[in-house]
Amino acid sequence: MNAKKLLGFAAFLLAVFVLVPLIIKATGRSDFYYTLTSVALLSVGAAGVWLTFYIGRINIGQGAYALVGGYVSTILVTQAGVSFWLTLPLAGLFCALISVLIGLPILRLRGVYFAMVTLVLTEVARLTALALPITNGAKGITSIPLPGEFSLFGITIIPAFGSLANPRFGFYIMAVVLMIITYLVLWRIVNSRLGHLCRSLQQNEELSASIGVNTAYLRVLAYAISSFFGGIAGAMFASIAQSIYPSSFVVADSVNFMLYCFLGGLGYVFGPMLGTLLLYFGWDLLSIAREYQLLIYSGIMILLMLVLPNGVLSLLDKKEGRA
Amino acid sequence: MSPILQIKNITKRYGGLTAVNDVSFDVNKGEILSVIGPNGAGKSTLFKLISSFVPATSGEVIFNGERISSLAPHKVARMGVVRTFQETTIFRSMTVRENIIVSHHLRSKASLLGFFLGTKQAKEDEDAFAASADDIVDFLGLQAIRNELASNLPQGHLRALGMAIGLATDPKVILLDEPFAGMNHDETMKMVALVRRLRDERGVTVLLVEHDMPAVMKISDRIVCINFGQKIAEGTPQEIRENEQVIEAYLGSEDAAIGM
Amino acid sequence: MEQIIANGLYLGAQYALIALGLTLIFSLMNVLNFAHGQMYVFGGFVTYTVVVQLGLPFIVGLFASAIVLAIMGAAIEKFLFAPVIRRSKRDESTMLLAAGIAFFLDAVILLAFGEKQRGVPKIVNGVFNWDMRIIMPYDRILIGVLAILLIVVFIGFMNYSRTGRAMRALAQDKMAAQLMGVNVARYSMIGFALGAMLAGLVGGLLVTITGVNLGMGGPTSVKAFLMIMIGGAGVISGAIAGGFILGMMESVGLTVLSAYGDITYLVIFATLMVFLAVRPQGLMGKPWG
Repeated sequence: MNAKKLLGFAAFLLAVFVLVPLIIKATGRSDFYYTLTSVALLSVGAAGVWLTFYIGRINIGQGAYALVGGYVSTILVTQAGVSFWLTLPLAGLFCALISVLIGLPILRLRGVYFAMVTLVLTEVARLTALALPITNGAKGITSIPLPGEFSLFGITIIPAFGSLANPRFGFYIMAVVLMIITYLVLWRIVNSRLGHLCRSLQQNEELSASIGVNTAYLRVLAYAISSFFGGIAGAMFASIAQSIYPSSFVVADSVNFMLYCFLGGLGYVFGPMLGTLLLYFGWDLLSIAREYQLLIYSGIMILLMLVLPNGVLSLLDKKEGRA
Repeated sequence: MSPILQIKNITKRYGGLTAVNDVSFDVNKGEILSVIGPNGAGKSTLFKLISSFVPATSGEVIFNGERISSLAPHKVARMGVVRTFQETTIFRSMTVRENIIVSHHLRSKASLLGFFLGTKQAKEDEDAFAASADDIVDFLGLQAIRNELASNLPQGHLRALGMAIGLATDPKVILLDEPFAGMNHDETMKMVALVRRLRDERGVTVLLVEHDMPAVMKISDRIVCINFGQKIAEGTPQEIRENEQVIEAYLGSEDAAIGM
Repeated sequence: MEQIIANGLYLGAQYALIALGLTLIFSLMNVLNFAHGQMYVFGGFVTYTVVVQLGLPFIVGLFASAIVLAIMGAAIEKFLFAPVIRRSKRDESTMLLAAGIAFFLDAVILLAFGEKQRGVPKIVNGVFNWDMRIIMPYDRILIGVLAILLIVVFIGFMNYSRTGRAMRALAQDKMAAQLMGVNVARYSMIGFALGAMLAGLVGGLLVTITGVNLGMGGPTSVKAFLMIMIGGAGVISGAIAGGFILGMMESVGLTVLSAYGDITYLVIFATLMVFLAVRPQGLMGKPWG
């Protein structure tokens, strides 16, 4: 079993670091790097949303944290001259901190009520970005410098992106590494006691409390981790786009994060990753259909929902059931 | 015998309605004490008050000399007062064994971060939980369904699983909410024997709320009877059987005579 | 001051009508209909097509919107929501479906009606002017009155008709209603059709004043969500209250805070978040719906 998992992981690494670049080179579609970078980063955000689903909360507010993360990193880089690599964790931590303050009151809510408040949260974040002087209103912040060199003890670990011959490829590698780390962390959470407790919370909060689980603490913890993921995803996005606006992450993005999780399957750690790939990449591929792009895209989405209402990865369940 | 749990003048009001009114009684260590009373007498509310799931309007609950009535529910559980639910509440999409293992949470020595990192302590904890879970499975005779998904279980097994979850927390006092409800005679007798063993073999003090009079009479060391939120009698099954107020309360609300 | 109240009432009546449809669907099926705004836009375009392209009277357009949307709602419930609800492990899966339908309707609107803002010529001319205290075009007054009339008809329907009562029973307790012999599948479909019809009617009403365009769907849905949350999700009186409150807040906010632009909405939304965190069941809802 474990050997099988390791093999799967190795195959995955091979695919993203060797196969994808080879295919892109062969087809000459280097624009795919940009698409796949977006997929990787969005799936980092979606991983967070998935974790809130895992404690039984519908989170339609990840766009807010992505936006906040983007602004925190950008402002630190442009105004305080902090290295991007340091702002990345800082953006995540800042988001986690805010999410604790917001989460304490709102995580008591359940179901649609929590979902709605988080939806409003995305809008509040956008409007706040419009109103604050430091975020420069609707004009946003542009011409953000590319990430510089990252070195430890004089050894260059990540070269400055400005010096790269192909920054697109650099961003792709960086985003994929970030994604892999995120999902390893998520996988570890789910398969450790922490995850079991989250599941107990999802299934029955009262019982969870009566077996001695500090439910309030656990909820806030899961939400903070979720928001951390949202924050670093947003920070990377801003850096890659070299710009950030209040409209960089809006309600539609928050809804999309949630959809990625649904489509991949809420019962599977790698569900959000697959969901993001299918929806985002699929959308990109469908651009050849021109004005019918949205029609086909949404049609497929509805169809998938009818055929696989528990997510694409529920296909695996069916196999097990038959065996 | 010394009291392990003391309920002192506890009162709960919801708006104008008084659900529990100035109820006091002691629970001795190692005894089986039942709370009885007609429907709507306030028994369930009393349980929620003791396990701190609802805050009391006034009065207090003392466990081993410490006041627990204003603590969060999980802290009360942590101290050893654990409640099982009326609506056979379980973690539905976990297997029986997973249900029991996860309920060992209170016994873990490693921190959540420790579990995340997979430290030595965490591994030891997990092994201990698994062993203890198997132990509980044996104790309750659930071997045949240990890997069954909880949502697929029939009623009787669910009740046993609820108890297993309670046991996993290693309670000093366990609060059983209507453990015999909906059971036929044979099932009830089996459950009575099980609750006895809980006390005799595991040393757990049992406090239960129940409708089934014959079972209550059979199992209890002492009985507390409440009606309209107030305690009207307390004593051995024999004393309760002969108490006029109790008989009146039951005749007044239900046809079921007492101690048939 | 009077002007603000009049604007708020006019806006609130439209909002309440949208919220009523959404809350009806939510209470019957526990589905948060993300496509509600798109249904509203669709209704607007139907009226536009009938009135402007076919040259028929406005009232015909309004009826056409109602009928088209009711059929659409019934079909969506029967062929999409019902099977997914039956087979899904989690209630929330319907959210993905609802979002998919929202996208799909957007696509259909784009293909059928284009991206342009569309409007219908004024149905009545002239402006009501009360001593410069309230100035309001007659067509707005007419539409506002029509909306209030529709709300009254809807409440009457829910309270006194057999269908309405069955739906209310279903909303209150699905199990009990089932035991009493209410056909859940049938009334879920009727309820969805009715909810969609209300959205279509508002679209038909408002196309005469503000017009409709493709981009209005999403934001309208979000506003409708807010209204039902303010009043209490799944409660009819709550939806009406929520609609009028949001209408008033916007009317007041846009006047008082007009100098600050988007601050109006920031204040409204931030207030709402705090309100919902403190009182999730809204003004009139039950805790946890």
